[in-house]
Amino acid sequence: MYKLLVKQFFRSKTVLLAFSILLILGALSIATGKQFLTQKQVAVEQTIEQQKKHIETQVELHKTDIGLLLYYLKFSFVKPLEPIAGIAIGQSDVNSHIQNVKILNLEGQKYDTDLVNPMRLQVGNLDFSFLIIFLFPLVIIALNFNLLSEEEENGTWKMVSLQGNSPLKYLLTKLSIRFAFVLIVFFVLLTSAKIVLSIPLNANFWQITTISLLYIVFWFAVSLIVILQRRSSNANAIILLTSWLVLVVFLPVLVNNYITNKYSVEEAFTMTIKQRDEYHKKWDTDKKATMDKFYEHYPQFKHYKLQEKGFSWLWYYAMQQMGDDDSRIERDLMNEKIRKREQLGKNIALFFPPLQVQLSMNSIAKTSLSDQMNFLNATTDFHEKLRLDFYPKIFENVSADTVNWDQYKPEYFKKIEVANIFKTSAPILIITLLLFGMSFIIGKKNF
Amino acid sequence: MKVQVVLLIAKQFFKKTFYSKGLLGLLAVFISVIIYVTIDGWKAYENNHHITEHHQNKARKSWEDNPDKHPHRMAHFGTFAFREQHPLTIFDSGIESYTGNAIFLEAHRQNTANFSEASLSTGLVRFGDLNIAMLLQLILPLIVFFVGYSAITSEKENGTLKIYYTQGINMKDILFGKSIGLFLVSSLFFIPGLIALWSITKIQDDVSNSSIVIRTFLITVFYILFYLILSFTTVIISGKSTNSNRSLLTLLGGWLLFFIIIPKTSQVIGNSLYPNLSKIAFRAAVEEEVSKQGDSHNPNDPYFNGLKDSILKVHNVTDVKELPFNYSGFLMSKGEEQTATIYNKQHKKLIDSYKNQNSIANRLVILNPYLAIKNLSMSLSGTDFNTYVSFLNQTEDYRYKQSQYMNELQMKFISNKAKSSEGKVHVVKKEYWLSAPQFSYQFIPVSQTINNQFMALITLIFWFFIVLLITVKFSNRFKII
Repeated sequence: MYKLLVKQFFRSKTVLLAFSILLILGALSIATGKQFLTQKQVAVEQTIEQQKKHIETQVELHKTDIGLLLYYLKFSFVKPLEPIAGIAIGQSDVNSHIQNVKILNLEGQKYDTDLVNPMRLQVGNLDFSFLIIFLFPLVIIALNFNLLSEEEENGTWKMVSLQGNSPLKYLLTKLSIRFAFVLIVFFVLLTSAKIVLSIPLNANFWQITTISLLYIVFWFAVSLIVILQRRSSNANAIILLTSWLVLVVFLPVLVNNYITNKYSVEEAFTMTIKQRDEYHKKWDTDKKATMDKFYEHYPQFKHYKLQEKGFSWLWYYAMQQMGDDDSRIERDLMNEKIRKREQLGKNIALFFPPLQVQLSMNSIAKTSLSDQMNFLNATTDFHEKLRLDFYPKIFENVSADTVNWDQYKPEYFKKIEVANIFKTSAPILIITLLLFGMSFIIGKKNF
Repeated sequence: MKVQVVLLIAKQFFKKTFYSKGLLGLLAVFISVIIYVTIDGWKAYENNHHITEHHQNKARKSWEDNPDKHPHRMAHFGTFAFREQHPLTIFDSGIESYTGNAIFLEAHRQNTANFSEASLSTGLVRFGDLNIAMLLQLILPLIVFFVGYSAITSEKENGTLKIYYTQGINMKDILFGKSIGLFLVSSLFFIPGLIALWSITKIQDDVSNSSIVIRTFLITVFYILFYLILSFTTVIISGKSTNSNRSLLTLLGGWLLFFIIIPKTSQVIGNSLYPNLSKIAFRAAVEEEVSKQGDSHNPNDPYFNGLKDSILKVHNVTDVKELPFNYSGFLMSKGEEQTATIYNKQHKKLIDSYKNQNSIANRLVILNPYLAIKNLSMSLSGTDFNTYVSFLNQTEDYRYKQSQYMNELQMKFISNKAKSSEGKVHVVKKEYWLSAPQFSYQFIPVSQTINNQFMALITLIFWFFIVLLITVKFSNRFKII
């Protein structure tokens, strides 16, 4: 019986079509991930090379004046992408993964964007997560929508019922063949992605696998509920496609729109004006006031005294510092807004599997907004370290030759944190179980 | 073809469609969503407009509040340009979420446009934007397919086609009648969207070239064409299918292919065929060219030293201190000119590589009316790629002029003996800050937009005639019995 059903399944054109679409787009999605990772990696290599060259040239040009030299020198801080980011590119194509900062006012440099075609960003990536979230449900729908109705329309259902055995069981058998087929395709694609992108088999990988599987099961549950209502094939197709449209296209867009408008981050503009003004104002204010503030921030530099007259680097860097220090409130307000956006998004996503899967995958692959915020915060620490390193050198006006410039290589942002598997998958699991429970009740009633 | 009969069939199709209560419910939901989206988009636009204006004024005020100071200090004080949205963003937000909103314009440095909405958003932003155009472009076609898939097949299945035939009605009348009927049904859905669109023209905006009424008019025409194409196509597919089931599956598959898979895949392929420079490589390219020509910041640079010698010769003096103008101001203006030229050249190359990336999708417009309406809609709404590039070019142009203005002030008013820009000694009166012009953004003229999207425009018209032609041809071959 099982054999026959499998045979029957593979005879349908839909299966072949679904299979080939998934394979072609799957290959494309893995290639997209690969290309993305390679481009990012190339940029990192260029950064390493460029920094070496940059430091050499600038040191050569300005070795007599270390204050001036540090005005020009840029240091790179890199957020390396894990191979798994090729599966869920998330927000990592929007945000820059390399920071190039001078020890000047940081807030004016930190938010510089990468060079990406906005059209590409708008259309979005065809990565593996897109495949899972958008296309797998469609394939599941295409395979299942006429599972029962087709038999009823062709008149074969009566024969099945006459055979005695539980018709519900028969349906579930048919469903399980489709489920097995989808699973095979999924694992074929996942394995290819793993090999091509050389993703290590670590907790992150298994988490993404688990979430994807749960999501696939979720869509089987949705399909089952609909087909058990015994409507016509056309009605099923319309209902299922509409559910897909609402769950995967419309609701996410609505939610995002709601979040964006609820928390508009105008503080970004306020902050950026403020950091400029606060630095530049100091050119026209009393030097002593600036220095007092600077000493207050860095008591350890109190013994560097300002010369009576003329320009001094000590004063100059103190002014630059004030750009950051005096725009702190605005910056905190901005970060607070962004955090609120993130939180609200997460809370709403608990109830909608597509949103939940997207956000979880991004956070497992470390390509989410909060990963970017963490990177920006780490940039601040990196920058502070440079400042503490160079300030005394500048204030003492040491010769540039005495500094070992070779040690200034790009540094890397590291964050080893594994997302909580329970948090990422429990909501979908619960929703899916509820759907199965409902379909059980409907099944009992209708058969 | 008998017009009366066609209209009768259209009317009959229209009436029959509303026999089922489901569609009325759907219409009610659709209209409510349009109302919500419009009000919401309107609020967001007003809010954005307010924020932009507020910050633009704030930035200008602190510019004007500067006391007398050295012009080079002002050159680095710089200006911000906050990007104004076109009011039609409410209708179609295009790439608005992904384009930078604030750009800092200072002397001899080209900064990036920062704080795009997407850079401050969670991963949810990638699902897309909610606006009227999204409902009209993506969702409504699906509704049209749902309503029209059985237009012909159900008549076939019920055997009613034969009755038509015996009454002397030919197939052409039926196909045209059904198509027009379907178009009328779809108009119930899209007219509210267009009303929402026209309501936007009420907004008084102060950006030049917004030409909102012309844009709105053109958008209206193109959407009507789009739905005509859709309605005829649906009926043709229904006529060609053996049964309703097939017809529905073909249409749904077509929707997936034309509305989701092709647009996305073409952009992905475009990107992998024409990768653009990374930021670090882009900067390196600019720096390399600058150092080849001469670096004005390098005191031993041969190019700029040669320039110095020739200047000294012309003015018949031996030292730059004796020149009748401030030499470092002069040097900076030359340096600015040189780096800006090089930067612009590289930037144009970058934009060209973006354009190449977009070219695949832009060429596929001929085969895909959805891409055509998508491009036309966002270009006319002032939210497309070209509009953004024009914004970037305008800011760079303004930045260059402002820097050169400061260099001129320095050449004119600052003594050659000045050693630093610090303090109250070598300064220019603050009145000069007031007379520096403000950044004023202009949208690209509609004629230019049409020029850019000429292919898409032709495509829609072409497709309209093609579907008419196919309908006629098909009706001649159609065998009722």
